[in-house]
Amino acid sequence: MSLQGRDVGEIEALVTDRYLDSLLGDREVQTPSAALDEAVRAVSRRLADDLPRFHPSFRFEERLAVRLAEAAASMRLPLAAGGERDAAPGPTQIPLSPRLAPDPLAALDDGDRPRPKPYLVGGAVAASALSLAGAAWLAWRRRSASPMARAVRAAHQARG
Amino acid sequence: MDAEPRVTHLDLDRPLVEAAQRDPARFDALYRRYLARVYSYAYYELGDHHAAEDATERTFLAALANLHRFKERARPADGAGASTFRVWLFQIARNVVANERRTERRRPTEPIVETTVVADPLDVEGEVVRREEAGAAWRAVGKLAGDRRRALVLRFVDEMTTAEIAGVLGRSEGAVRVLIHRALRSVARDLETTEHLAPRPPRT
Repeated sequence: MSLQGRDVGEIEALVTDRYLDSLLGDREVQTPSAALDEAVRAVSRRLADDLPRFHPSFRFEERLAVRLAEAAASMRLPLAAGGERDAAPGPTQIPLSPRLAPDPLAALDDGDRPRPKPYLVGGAVAASALSLAGAAWLAWRRRSASPMARAVRAAHQARG
Repeated sequence: MDAEPRVTHLDLDRPLVEAAQRDPARFDALYRRYLARVYSYAYYELGDHHAAEDATERTFLAALANLHRFKERARPADGAGASTFRVWLFQIARNVVANERRTERRRPTEPIVETTVVADPLDVEGEVVRREEAGAAWRAVGKLAGDRRRALVLRFVDEMTTAEIAGVLGRSEGAVRVLIHRALRSVARDLETTEHLAPRPPRT
């Protein structure tokens, strides 16, 4: 990419962008360019480490999954009858679910996650409510491929 | 500078999207993949657990209902307005959250730092420190204006590329690069006023 015709601000932004690609892209962090502002470099590393990804409660996740499945089923009926897809009920026709209390087990969900990040669960969740029994139950129920889930299922089958 | 947003890589979600377009019941895989990311985006924008859940629900219901209209445009030959499923989904989320924010202005919200850290409940001291650091980082990001804040959240939390963020925000890649650079400088100044940015070991 040519730097000709770009002003200083654009060049600095481009240098920062390349550094962020390296920092956030699961690649070995390259030695930053001398043109990279030290404060920008420091705060980039700070945000990469400290900005958490939030996860909704486990019960919210499952409840919305059910609602989506219901909506999907209602969309398949007109299709099976030869109707137009646009005749399928849209989201505005589906009332939103009632709110549920947060689920303390949600933090243990081990679904498709890109890479470890600090995770916070939305809502007021008591950390003390977490238990190994709950974790084992969640791992077994989610049919996860994690080592813990495999171990729980193996123990369950051995008992049966 | 780039004139239009352009996503130059192929859509890695294509098999799941095509399966869901053939059979809406298969949408569940896309939902599971993006739930936390969409919820995080909504939570950072709205700062409220319930509002973020509402926005997340509306986003996925709208995406499912309109999935048959989505057409991947992820090759260079597709030109301006290129889009992947991920970009399309976050465009929906952005619109939904904008509507939620208009509603939220009429009622107070709980501070986002009031959430409880449960990443490692056995390491109480470490969790307190992490919570304070996350809270400081969030407060600094939360002070940023509209698209600067959204660009940083999409870059650092949702781990999008500049091209993808350009697609979500409807800006050029060059404009997004400048947006993020200026946002980082602003956050750096903000954090320096409240604490010293001590050197940290390299990420592993």
